[in-house]
Parts: sequence; structure tokens; C-alpha cells
Amino acid sequence: MPERSIQFMRLERPHPGEQAAAARVRLADKFPRTALRRMTHLGLLTGAALDGVPVGEDDAVVYASTYAETRALEDFLGTFPAASPLLFQTSIHPSAVQQVLIGRQQSVGRYWPITGRRRLVESALLVALLETAPRVVLACGEERGSWLLEKGMASDRAFALALVLTQDPSGALGRVRFTAGGAPDETCPSLPDFADAVGERRGLSWSGAGGEWSLDWS
Amino acid sequence: MSPIEDPPPTGIEALGCLTPFGDAEATLHALLAGRRALERLPVLGADGGERVPLALAGSPEMTESLPPRWMGPLRSLAAGIPQGPWGSPRSPVVVTSSNFGVGSLYAYMGGRDPGHLAHGAPFACVDHLQREFGWGGQVHILSHACVSAHVGLLHASRLLHAGLADRVLAFSFDFVSPFVAGGFHSLKILNADMPAPYQARESGSIGLGDGAAFAVLTRAPCDFVIRAQALHNEMRSFTGNQADGSGFAACAEGVAAAASGRRLWVKGHGTGTLEAGRLEAEAFARAFPGAPLVSWKGSLGHTLGSCGLVELALAVAAVRSGRAPGTIGSAPPCFADAVALEPFSTAGFDGAVIASNAFGGAHAALLLTHA
Repeated sequence: MPERSIQFMRLERPHPGEQAAAARVRLADKFPRTALRRMTHLGLLTGAALDGVPVGEDDAVVYASTYAETRALEDFLGTFPAASPLLFQTSIHPSAVQQVLIGRQQSVGRYWPITGRRRLVESALLVALLETAPRVVLACGEERGSWLLEKGMASDRAFALALVLTQDPSGALGRVRFTAGGAPDETCPSLPDFADAVGERRGLSWSGAGGEWSLDWS
Repeated sequence: MSPIEDPPPTGIEALGCLTPFGDAEATLHALLAGRRALERLPVLGADGGERVPLALAGSPEMTESLPPRWMGPLRSLAAGIPQGPWGSPRSPVVVTSSNFGVGSLYAYMGGRDPGHLAHGAPFACVDHLQREFGWGGQVHILSHACVSAHVGLLHASRLLHAGLADRVLAFSFDFVSPFVAGGFHSLKILNADMPAPYQARESGSIGLGDGAAFAVLTRAPCDFVIRAQALHNEMRSFTGNQADGSGFAACAEGVAAAASGRRLWVKGHGTGTLEAGRLEAEAFARAFPGAPLVSWKGSLGHTLGSCGLVELALAVAAVRSGRAPGTIGSAPPCFADAVALEPFSTAGFDGAVIASNAFGGAHAALLLTHA
């Protein structure tokens, strides 16, 4: 099983109280104006994490989020019976990365939007390692919910993480490795824990999906 | 665009689907008879609204109940899945859906019954399925709107061909709720008109339908195989496509090499929207000259994230029976001469392309052949 080298990393962690409107002001220079006004908080944070990262037609993009477009979902539900077409479009799971790439008008061959909770990080890394594209962009993130958070169905923090993974180890910041074996599943890091570990360049290891996983730094 | 690398052919050990007509055989029989599952129902279920074409499985109206109305039909579908240690590392499950149990959130908003919240998030919905069907922890969940099932099938193929799994259960479902119907209605493409896929008419319209399906995939020899798979994402806009049809062409190109020399028929996406229908029909006519093009969404409605796997199951049933259903609900003139309005014999064909599209200009296609 080939490993992937981490060639780029950026973690976007806004002020805990930041809302989409404030993020639009803070990050205004990173997006086309026409796209900016329609972007969600998670879309903005994902775009900020990917700022300056070229994404090409031949790259693959992997996106992982447990709750994804929580605020668009909450707000869309609030528009019934006159449902909002804009909020409907932006509430779909793959929306955050789509907002960014549509803003760039950048097509891409394979886009893998992944969800889940307990083994989400493992699923996303597995898709990235199985990719045939030489360069894989891995984006992850959450936005903070409002009433869904009160019900325990949304993230309590907003963040976005971008990694560029290649098969070339030269100059790498770190690496993600999977070694097939028969070890039983252990607890997989949660998405926020994974983002924290990457932000702190802290190593991780666990077993799952029939093998051993490791995140190491140079 | 460089060619998309595909894994080797993936065997289909078992396949099943569920639509408002019943299982794959019952659905095929109904489609061959030209029957429509769609009927005009209130877009917001018990909350009323315009009557729009909906095709519901196992319930006469779109009510969000407890347990959710999708649970019974999914139990029925799952009863046909071959035995296996599903959810173990060597037999993982790949679950795909566009909407999972999001209708439960709409139901919660209506009556504030907290019981609905237990199914509202994708992971919570899939947790429920894991418990219900006894799956282990190795469950991968993907959600890419209406190409979700295709994305899951490609992931399943890669797990197999990387040697990480012996068999993979691909499981896909989407059930219509006021959340989804209201959303498509707000886009004005779900309206009072019945869909007429690929028909050149004044205005377009779609229908929505319940759908669920499974496939057990393997590297072992099987009668049917998925010989090639391709994905492409235009990222031009959420709801539009490149005006030159290049997105459709790029995806078709991804399976064209494997299809070369074969006599094909094409099960297109064909929801009933005009511009996408025209671009799709024209692109397939160029990529696969002479291949009959059909859509079954004029009968079943658009089963959203599950449509790729539901329609794959129906295509296999069609090939087994020797007859493929035509494009129900449509009449001349059509966007391309290749659009097949009536059922046709599958004898003489040695492959079928199964294609789907989604928000963001997402395209997916696979090539189904005998081994």
C-alpha cells in the first residue's frame, strides 16, 4: 500500500465566535466578489485553507466532514414553506469544496465527498491513499451550528484543514502511511483531533480497516 | 484532460433494488409495460403545496414518521443481501446517499418531537442501519449528491483491487421528503408537469422517486462486471453545465476506451430538464454513435443519490430478461435520434453505459458488460 507525503498543510481556525458574515469581511480578498456573498462559513474557511493551493484537472480532491453545511441546513429549514433555492443548493454535503472550485471555475476529475463520524478520518485517508492521481488535495472541516448544536447534531467549533498529498517524498512535511495487517480496529481519531494533530505537527497512530495507520512529521 | 485510470473489471456477485414498483424484476416488468410510478402529490406532504410528480415506496404519502418511512423498505431490500461478515475489514460496506435521513429534520421542525433528530445526521442514519443490519465498524460513507452511488461503486472497486477487501457491499438509498421536494420545487424544476426526458418541449420538469439498491462486488469471476468507471466535475456552477457539453464529453471519454468495439446501449441520467437533457443526448450521440439512449426517470422519478445503483440493478435485470425499457413519458421530437422511446431487445448488444449527473456539474458513468 503506497504511502502519501504531505507537501502542504494549512489549518484555518477562526475566532470561536466568528460567523459567516464576519468571515466574508475577513477573507474578502481571497474570493471573487460574486462568489463571496453566497458562500457559507465552511466554504469560506475551506477556501482560506486552500488559498494559494492550485488544484488541477488531473488532481483528485478528497473532502471530509461529519456535519458539513450545518448553517445552510438550519437556515433552509427555516425558510419553509417558501423554501430558498440558494440555501437548498448550498446545504448539500459536498458544497464547501464546490463553492471554492466553482469560484475558481476549476474542473477536477475525481471529487470524493466523505462523511461519517467514528471512522471518518480513516475513510478519507483510505480514499486518498487509493487514489491514482499523483496529487491529492485533502480538505476537511466543520462549521459551528446553532440550534442543531444545542441538539448535539452539529460541530461546536469551526475549522478547515487542507493537505496536499503526493507520491514524491522529497521535501515532504510529513507522511501518511497504511500497512496492511490483521490488527482489530482501534478508536480512530476524530476529525477535530486529526486537525489538531496536523496543526501541532503531532504524530498519530491507530489500527483500522485491516491495517496500521500512522501520521509522521519530518 | 489525462485519461482516468480505472481499476480492472469488478465482478457483480449480487444486485438488488427497490422502487415504488417493488424489486428489480417487478420494476423491470412495470417499465417494460410503460407504467408510471410517478403521481401528483403535495410537494410538502401533509403540509400541502403544489401537486408535483413523486413516486413513493411503501407509503401513499410523503409523511415523516417514527421510525422513518424508509426503514421498512430498507429492511425488505436488505433481506436479499447475501450473507457475509459485512462491515468487517475484509468485507466493508460502502453506504451512499444524497439525503440520508434529512427529512427527519423537517419533521422535527414541524412537531418538535426529538425522536426525529435521531435520524437527521448522515452518521446517525447510518449508525441506525449498522445496528439494524448487524454491520461491523468498517462502513465508509460517501455523499456526492446524485452521483453518490457511482462514487461509492468506484471506491468499492478500488478497495477490492488494492487487495484490502475480498467482497464489498455497496448500499445506496434516497427517499423523498418535503425537505428535498421543497428544495427542487424552489428551483422550479420540480413542478406540476410530468417529466419527459430528452423530449424537446417548451419547459422542463423532473419527478422525484424513492429508491434503494445494493450490490455485492468482488474480484472473483461473475456473470456481470463493471468494466470501466469515470467521474468528472465541471465546477462551473451549482445547477448549470458548460454550454458546449464538455463536461458530459469528458465523462463519456472516461469509459469510451473500454467500450471501444462494443455494441452499446446507454442508460442516461435524463431527469427531464431541458438543457442538461439536450447536452447529455448530444454528447452520448457523439461518444457512442448509434447507441440507443434511454432514461427511466419519467416513470420512477429521480431517485437522487441512489439512482446510479438502482438503475444499474435494473440494467442487469433488463439484460437478463433480454429487453430494456424505453424512455417512458417522452414523445417525439427528442434531442437526438438515438433516444429510444419504446422497449428494445438487448440481444446483439454487449455493453451498457450507466450514467448519472449531479449538482456542481458532476458526471459519472460506468460500463456494464458480461465477464
